[in-house]
Amino acid sequence: MPGFPFPGRPGGEHDEPLLDMIIARRALPPDAPQAMHDLARMLAAMAGPAEPGELAGEAAVRAAFSRAVSPAGISSAARRPVRHRRARRSRRRSRSRVRLATAMVVAAAGLGSVFAAYIDVLPSPIQQLAHVAVAAPAPHGSSSRQAATLGTARPVPRKVQPSSRPAPAPRHSASAALTPSEGTNPTPHYRSPFSPSGHRPTYPACSPAPGHSPHQPPKGSPGPSLPPSWYQAVPCTAIPSGPAGQPTLNPYVP
Amino acid sequence: MIGAAFSITLASAQGGDETAFACLFRDLQPALLRYLQVITPEAEDVAGDTWLQVVKGLPGFRGGEEAFRAWLFTIARHRAVDAGRSRSRRPDVPLALTEAADQQPAGPDAAELALEAISTRSVLALIKTLPREHAEIIMLRVVAGLEAADVARIVGKTPGAVRVTAHRALRKLADVAERTGVTQ
Repeated sequence: MPGFPFPGRPGGEHDEPLLDMIIARRALPPDAPQAMHDLARMLAAMAGPAEPGELAGEAAVRAAFSRAVSPAGISSAARRPVRHRRARRSRRRSRSRVRLATAMVVAAAGLGSVFAAYIDVLPSPIQQLAHVAVAAPAPHGSSSRQAATLGTARPVPRKVQPSSRPAPAPRHSASAALTPSEGTNPTPHYRSPFSPSGHRPTYPACSPAPGHSPHQPPKGSPGPSLPPSWYQAVPCTAIPSGPAGQPTLNPYVP
Repeated sequence: MIGAAFSITLASAQGGDETAFACLFRDLQPALLRYLQVITPEAEDVAGDTWLQVVKGLPGFRGGEEAFRAWLFTIARHRAVDAGRSRSRRPDVPLALTEAADQQPAGPDAAELALEAISTRSVLALIKTLPREHAEIIMLRVVAGLEAADVARIVGKTPGAVRVTAHRALRKLADVAERTGVTQ
């Protein structure tokens, strides 16, 4: 409590307000002890203006300041944060570039592998793996075919010996839908143009030319024999009628 | 104390105005040098190092005059501590190899002080006779004009401890001055 004496403590604790005034460089009251006034004068002298010699280092410090604010000095001191910022930014950019390049390489490798799997040029174990993983064609295990495929980048028709060996099972539906003119297989896998559910055929077919038996395929036709129902269902040219309003014989029109 | 013009002076110095920087130097250098003379024998060298550090850190400084003073004396104390460490690592030079005749006595005799008039130098010599901690707190509180909280941060004490120590130091200084007659 300012100004309140503490008689139980040794020393002159009652002078604390005066000491605080000296520290704060405030004027002491006239009735303060002489020792306090002397102390205040001493400390005021200590905090007085510069004496000769105390500013002797000014020239050196000013020279250092000039060096620091000169363009060369600024480049070493003041530009440092900017340089650090630029370095940090370029590090971040190069890191993102590396990530992007890695991602592109991985994506290219993945797409290339899938493509290679679908054109069936991978080694058998890997092709088998791709067959399981991405539904690629199953491996054939024929290195010659792989080599040929690699050389021409086009699937080569496979020669099938007309032997007792059964034809290979179709790998997928696309390979099974062969047209009669494709390949040399004597027993091509035909699919009925009508699906069992009675939908429209996948390709149009017409009846044979006039003079041919509707129940027999034309002679010399390379195509296989078709089921009779097929010919019965397609009795004529199967082209819809023209503008004369003739009834159409198109089997697809009810 | 520069006062109201401090912010303008500081901004000019931060912008590269050498005159403004010189103004800051002239305002603070006397108190800085006197403080360093109390805590280190290499006061002028340490003061030079301190100002070099200030020149480096000046563009990034933010704050008012009180904060600038506290920053300056904090740097000075750190530099003084570093100087003391490097001095302690240096090998001692035998006294016989030094020119003992040219050496001044470490501290002035109290009787000699009594003969001198009150001057900055004599009071500084009187403060040097105090314990180091007391002398430093007097210099920071009274001569440098720092607040108790700033002094507490610099010397690593609580503000209350700084206040108590400052009071004790001032009483002791008054007692020494009365005994030596410096104040007369």
